[in-house]
Amino acid sequence: MAVLQMRKLRIYGLKRNRKQILEMLQRSGAVEVSDIPMEKEETVFLTADVSASQSLFEKERKEAEEALEILSRYVPDKGSPLAFLNGRKPISAEEYYAFAQRWEEVRKTIQEILSLERDVREKEGEVRRLETQLEGLQPWLKLDVSMRFRGTASTAAFIGTLPGSRKGEDLERELEEASPGLAVSVEVISASQEQTCVFLLCPKEQQEQAENALRAQGFSRPSSPSKVPPAEKARELSRTLEELKKEKKQREEEIARMEPFREDLKYAWDYLTMRLEKYQVLGQLEQSRHVFILGGYMPLKEVEGLSRKLEPLGAVLETEEPGEDEDVPVLLENNAFAEPVEGVLESFSMPGKGELDPSPIMAVFYYILFGMMLSDAAYGLIMVAVCGFCLWKFKNMELSMRKALRMFFFCGISTTFWGFLYGSFFGDVVGAFSGTFLGQRQDLPPFWFSPLEEPMRMLMFSLLVGVIHIFVALFLGAVQFWKQKRYKDLVYDIVFWYLLVGGLILLLLSTEMFAGIAGIAKLEEPAGTIGSIAAGIGAVGILLTGGRESKNPVKRLLKGAYALYNVTGYLGDILSYSRLLALGLATGVIAQVINSMGTMMGSGPVGLIAFILIFLVGHTINIAINLLGAYVHTNRLQFVEFFGKFFQGGGRKFQPFGVHTKYFKIKEDK
Amino acid sequence: MENFGIVLAVLGAVLAALLAGAGSAVGVGRAGEAAAGVVTEDPSKFSKVLILQLLPGTQGIYGLLIAFLCLSQIGIIGGTFVELSVAKGLLYFLACMPMAIVGYWSALKQSRASVACIGLIAKRPDQLGKAILFPAMVETYAIFALLISILSIFGIAGLPV
Repeated sequence: MAVLQMRKLRIYGLKRNRKQILEMLQRSGAVEVSDIPMEKEETVFLTADVSASQSLFEKERKEAEEALEILSRYVPDKGSPLAFLNGRKPISAEEYYAFAQRWEEVRKTIQEILSLERDVREKEGEVRRLETQLEGLQPWLKLDVSMRFRGTASTAAFIGTLPGSRKGEDLERELEEASPGLAVSVEVISASQEQTCVFLLCPKEQQEQAENALRAQGFSRPSSPSKVPPAEKARELSRTLEELKKEKKQREEEIARMEPFREDLKYAWDYLTMRLEKYQVLGQLEQSRHVFILGGYMPLKEVEGLSRKLEPLGAVLETEEPGEDEDVPVLLENNAFAEPVEGVLESFSMPGKGELDPSPIMAVFYYILFGMMLSDAAYGLIMVAVCGFCLWKFKNMELSMRKALRMFFFCGISTTFWGFLYGSFFGDVVGAFSGTFLGQRQDLPPFWFSPLEEPMRMLMFSLLVGVIHIFVALFLGAVQFWKQKRYKDLVYDIVFWYLLVGGLILLLLSTEMFAGIAGIAKLEEPAGTIGSIAAGIGAVGILLTGGRESKNPVKRLLKGAYALYNVTGYLGDILSYSRLLALGLATGVIAQVINSMGTMMGSGPVGLIAFILIFLVGHTINIAINLLGAYVHTNRLQFVEFFGKFFQGGGRKFQPFGVHTKYFKIKEDK
Repeated sequence: MENFGIVLAVLGAVLAALLAGAGSAVGVGRAGEAAAGVVTEDPSKFSKVLILQLLPGTQGIYGLLIAFLCLSQIGIIGGTFVELSVAKGLLYFLACMPMAIVGYWSALKQSRASVACIGLIAKRPDQLGKAILFPAMVETYAIFALLISILSIFGIAGLPV
């Protein structure tokens, strides 16, 4: 139920057992490895340079990943949409080590897939190139000589394009007009808006003259003329294309046939990941010729088990209390009720040095606040059913997913509870349905009160929950100070604030005006006097001690005054809990809107169908939106209002040397 | 002019839905653009940026809620039309204003925070908890506005004006 105690450890082992020891440590996942600070003189011990092997493993892992991706492109990895709940597939340690024997073989498979894919890509590029070429030939298909044809013994031939759409006779006339004496014969092969392909003949001696005249018209020769007539060339190209496509298809089919190796590829990824991590640790070992030393941290409660496992491997485990200024990693342990919110805590920060693990207290409030915001019994029951089903059905789920689902399971229970207290079940569906279809409106009565009818009462209750939440946070701060033996800080930073805020609340409630707003009877004397005395002591205390780190008395007083000003912060914090009302009402009112829209079509069969449709769609949207809202704002209340009072965080999470695979989980045989 | 009260009340309700809805539409759209950019680079961040995109969308829902509450109080929805004095109509109009105005501006500003936090998620996907918090800070004020609008609308019904 707390931050686990950590021990600093050293493992001394013989080098010939190094592999087994490291593999055992990796599977146990109990030790975080860190560098060992060594005296410079101890030259017997050296760290090995493993960067070359590491980068090799990284490259191979990337290739395995690529191969997997390629494979999934051709043969999609079929799986149900809920497959992500399944977690990693468990395998035994023997299976894992059996794979290590086959690794070379699998590596060949990976290379084969990669080279096949490269081939496919190449062919694809070639196909694209040929297709462009074929397209370029289209305008020339009617030409029945080679495109390189330059004329006969007495004639000169020009084959090329002119810009724009031209007619043969027009071109002949224009050329002859522009260059007197020139005799040409033009045959238009094809013409489009952009260009005209022409075959032009003239007497050999006029070749130069014709060329000049043509150039003036914008004539240009094709960039890559074919040796054979275009039609024949086109046939040739189509044939090659066909063949290329067939080959490409074959390669693709070959890749698809690799499907049975998919598991192997996944194995490979996991195998390389584990080796990579092992080598990283290897690089942190201090090694002499026969001995190696491993340093790090581990939870105290696992020390005994680990040293028992190390004994047969001829290694010795030595532990000690970590020093004051060491960067000790943090590991939390909680019961099933509080454990789920560890994830939320982690997304804020792990507890820093000397801080408590707030999870158990936080869990209680988390579930309560969430329930108050979503506050609909039916929505809560849906959450409980969905999360419960997934937890029951997918036993092998990953821990983080399990935690999240369990958290929403508890939130669902709380939501159901508050929903019944407020009399909200799909909003007012009971009343709306019975009123429209059964003829007599029969509302579900709230067990406590309906926030829609008594919003002020709800507001006061929300603020009361806020005051309790904040006071509990202050109390946790006090416990922390107590544990750190900072008794003065406890009085200055906690007790004075209790007096001030508590006193002010008492004072407010004993005035006519605020009691009226709150809808309760004004508190009788001596409540007001006690309140003002307490607030006074608190205020003076804070004024005098708020700036106690300054030596200068004037500065100290000014800082104290500034600390006192923070009372507005408390006011804001408490008012912030009005969101419990606002979000609770939002769920209920939107649900009512949906229900009343559903009943608008009357009570006939058409009305019933419309009601069911609107009901399903509307409530699905409402549950999604308000689930998100409740989640976000519960987090906010925890992070800002609650943690702000006592929790700084900044701890580093315990990251053990372990098995961080993606596809398979190695079962530890006991 | 004797029916001007209902005109004012409907105007208020419509403005709450209109302004808050428009603000949310712009906000969600803006955040969506940023989110799409992140997903282009890394599709696995989809669910994370989706949450951030949705955050500026709540104002539109709150506006809808206020509009609905107001319309049902004055009998436009639900059928029983009640005679509304000009003063009462104006009160309903005023009650809707916090949600309309704060809803509009907070949605726009919240979307900026969302866009920035989507950028944060692109670089540091592990910081989702904090990234959600920044836009949620802005939303606080929309919630306060919603609260005052709701309390006012419930309170006005019983006033003898």
